[in-house]
Amino acid sequence: MSQSAMSETYDFLFKFLVIGNAGTGKSCLLHQFIEKKFKDDSNHTIGVEFGSKIINVGGKYVKLQIWDTAGQERFRSVTRSYYRGAAGALLVYDITSRETYNALTNWLTDARMLASQNIVIILCGNKKDLDADREVTFLEASRFAQENELMFLETSALTGENVEEAFVQCARKILNKIESGELDPERMGSGIQYGDAALRQLRSPRRAQAQSAQECGC
Amino acid sequence: MAADVHKKKSWEVPNGSLAPGDGQHAERSESPTPGLAQGTEPGAGQEGAMFVHTRSYEDLTSPEDGAAAARSPEERRGEPAEQSSMEQISKDFSELSTQLTGMALDLDEEMRAGKEGKLEPSPQTARRDSVLSGKEEEDVTMDAWRSHRKHVFVLSEAGKPVYSRYGSEEALSSTMGVMMALVSFLEAEKNAIRSIHADGYKVVFVRRSPLVLVAVARTRQSEQEIAHELLYIYYQILSLLTWTQLNHIFQQKQNYDLRRLLAGSERITDNLLDLMAHDPSFLMGAVRCLPLAASVRDAVSSSLQQAKAKSLVFSILLSGNQLVSLVRKKDQFLHPIDLHLLFNLISSSSSFREGEAWTPICLPKFNSSGFFHAHISYLEQEMDLCLLLVSTDREDFFTVSDCKRRFQERLRRRGVQHALHEALRTPFYSVAQVGIPDLRHFIYKSKSSGLFTSPEIEAPYVQEEEKERLLGLYQYLHSRAHNSSRPLKNIYFTGPRENLLAWVTNAFELYVCYSPLGTKAGAINAVNKLMKWIRKEEDRLFILTPQTY
Ligand SMILES: Nc1nc2c(ncn2[C@@H]2O[C@H](COP(=O)(O)OP(=O)(O)O)[C@@H](O)[C@H]2O)c(=O)[nH]1
Ligand SMILES: [Mg+2]
Repeated sequence: MSQSAMSETYDFLFKFLVIGNAGTGKSCLLHQFIEKKFKDDSNHTIGVEFGSKIINVGGKYVKLQIWDTAGQERFRSVTRSYYRGAAGALLVYDITSRETYNALTNWLTDARMLASQNIVIILCGNKKDLDADREVTFLEASRFAQENELMFLETSALTGENVEEAFVQCARKILNKIESGELDPERMGSGIQYGDAALRQLRSPRRAQAQSAQECGC
Repeated sequence: MAADVHKKKSWEVPNGSLAPGDGQHAERSESPTPGLAQGTEPGAGQEGAMFVHTRSYEDLTSPEDGAAAARSPEERRGEPAEQSSMEQISKDFSELSTQLTGMALDLDEEMRAGKEGKLEPSPQTARRDSVLSGKEEEDVTMDAWRSHRKHVFVLSEAGKPVYSRYGSEEALSSTMGVMMALVSFLEAEKNAIRSIHADGYKVVFVRRSPLVLVAVARTRQSEQEIAHELLYIYYQILSLLTWTQLNHIFQQKQNYDLRRLLAGSERITDNLLDLMAHDPSFLMGAVRCLPLAASVRDAVSSSLQQAKAKSLVFSILLSGNQLVSLVRKKDQFLHPIDLHLLFNLISSSSSFREGEAWTPICLPKFNSSGFFHAHISYLEQEMDLCLLLVSTDREDFFTVSDCKRRFQERLRRRGVQHALHEALRTPFYSVAQVGIPDLRHFIYKSKSSGLFTSPEIEAPYVQEEEKERLLGLYQYLHSRAHNSSRPLKNIYFTGPRENLLAWVTNAFELYVCYSPLGTKAGAINAVNKLMKWIRKEEDRLFILTPQTY
C-alpha cells in the first residue's frame, strides 16, 4: 500500500478524510479503493489509518492522501485535528442503520466548524448491497445531501460499486474549483499541494519546505 | 560483599525509574554462581538496560507515583546477601520439598476438580468474535457464564459498569451493585487491594480511583497475582484515556458512563486477558526477545537507530510478542508494562496489517498524563514484523512515516533481510538444544535487563489446556517465591506429572520444569548446566547492547 514518494509524478496532491460512525464501512471503502478488494476481517480502526493512491481525473494526475478515521468518541479529538488540512471528505453512513444516518448532522457540524470553508464533502450511503435491510431510503438521503450542499452516492465496499466514483467525483469537484479560481491551492490549510509534475512550471515554497523537513534527522 | 553493596545501590535510586548504572561492567562469570551480582547475570545488558528497572509485580502493585515505588518492601530490605553456595541451595531445597510435595498433591487435586467442574472446553475462544455487533451477548443466567474460570469487571466508583469480560455489562449491573456494596464496605485506603475467599472462589478487588476492578476467579492464582492482572487492565484503560483525562471526566460527572469513551476497545481488553492466561511475559514482568544472531540484531538496531527523527522517543521492532529491537531516546526508559500494552494493542487488531496507522497512546508507566503518537505498520505483508515508532508530536506523521522508509532502506542495504526472514521462520527454540534429558521447559529472567528467555512449550504440553496448566504451575511457584509475608527463594516441587524448580535471586529468576522421573539431585545439577547454556547463548537470546538515538 505504501509507495515510495520519490518515484511518483502527479499534478496535485489532495488530502482526504473519511468520517462517519464506527462500523459504517469507512476502512472497507478505503481498502476497496486502494486495493480493489473487500477486506472481510475489518477490525475497529485505532486512531487514524493512512493510505494513498494516484488517480487520473480528466487528464490530470491527482495523488489522494487519505486519512481513515476511527468513528469512536474516544478518537474524536484526533479526528478533529485532521479536518483542518483536508481538501475533501467522504462522509459515510450505513444504509441499513438509521442510527448512523442520524449521526450525520453531528459529523457535519464538526466538519463545518473545523474544516476549511472550501472542503468538498461527498455523502456515501454505504452497504448498498444490503438493500433488503435498508433503513434509509435513497430519496431521503439525497434530500439531506441537497440541503447541506453535499454530493451524494450510494456505495458498496463489498461489491465495489461506486467506490472509485466517490473518490473521483470528490477530486473532480476540487479540481474544478481550482480551475475556476474558487480554490487557491497556495492558501494555508487548503489540503492541496502541487505535485512534482506541476512543480516544473511552478515553484511552491511550501512544498520545498516540506521536503527539507523530511530530510532532517538523517 | 560487593554484590550486596551494588544491589542496595541500585534499589535505592531516588524514583525507582532508572536502570542500574555502575557495576554493569563487572566480570561476567563463565559458570554462574548463586552469588551472581545483579548486572552480571546471563542476559544482563552490557551497556545499561533499556527498561525501567523493575521488580516484577511488586512494582505493579505499588502506587503509581515514583516516590512510593522507591520504598523498599520488607522482603527486600531484609534480604540476606546472595552468598549461598550450591550446597546451601540443595539443603534449602531438601528442607522445602517435603513441605511442598504435600502442597503439590493438594494443588493437583484442586486442579483436577476444577477441570471436571468446567462445562466449556475452552472458555477463552467462545466469545466476541464478531466485530460490528461487538460481542455475542451471553445470557448471564447460563451455566456457561458461571463456569468461566475468571470473571473480570471494571466499574466506576459510582457503581456504573465499565467493562465485563463475559456477557453484557447491562445484565450484570445488579451483580455490580452487590460488588459496590462490598467495595464500600471494604473501603479503606484508596489504593487498597482486598480479597474474599469463598467456596473455591477468590474475589479480588483493586481500587484505583475513580475505578474499581474486580476479579472472581477459580484459578489457583494467588490474590497478589490476580490483583496484578487487574492492574494490567487498569493500565490498559489508562493507555486509551490517560490518567488525567480519566480523572477529569469523573470529577466533572461522578456517574459518567465510561463505556461511551471505551467503545470499540473491549476487544483490546479481552485480548489482554487472553494473553495473560497464555504468555509468561506478564507473570514475569519482563520481555522476551526473538532469538537472533547478535550480528543480525545489531544491524537491525543500528538501522533503526539511524532512521531517527526529532520527535521519536522509542523505535520498537517486534514479532509476535517477542522483541526484535528497541532503540530509545537517551535517558528515556520504557517500562516492560508499557511495552506489554503495546504488544497487546498490536496483537488485538489485524487492522495494522495494512497501511500505516497513527494513533494516540498513553504509556501509563512512562507518563500517565499524556499521549504519545504511535506509528504502527508491518514491514511486509507476509512477514510477522511490526514496527512501532513512538513520537511526541501528533503532527509528525509524515516525518515518522519517512523514518520507516529509511529504516527499510537501510535494512536492505545492509543485506540482513534474509537473515531476519530466516529467524522469523523459527521464532522459538527447542528445549532439546540445551541437551538435558529430563528438562522439559524453563523460564529464565535476567532482572537487570528486564528480559527473559524461554523455549517453545513442547510435548507433553500440546493441548491448550496442558499449556495453561503448565503456566498455572509456574504461576503457583512464582506466587510462592514472591509471597510478601513469606517469600521462598528455592522451591522444589514434585508432582505426579512433572517436577518443578524455582530459584529466585536478586539477579535472576529461574523456573524449570522436569519430567517426573528425575531426582532432586539431578534437577539441581541440571540447573547448573542450564545456566551455563544460557550464558553461552545469551547474545542470541537477549539484547545485550541496547541502542539509543
Ligand atoms: N455488506 C456489506 N458490509 C460491509 C460493507 N462495508 C463494510 N462492511 C462491513 O461492515 C463492518 C464495518 O466495516 P469497517 O470498514 O470496519 O467500518 P468502519 O468502522 O467505518 O471503518 C465490517 O464487518 C465490514 O465487513 C459493504 O459495503 N457491504
Ligand atoms: Mg475503520
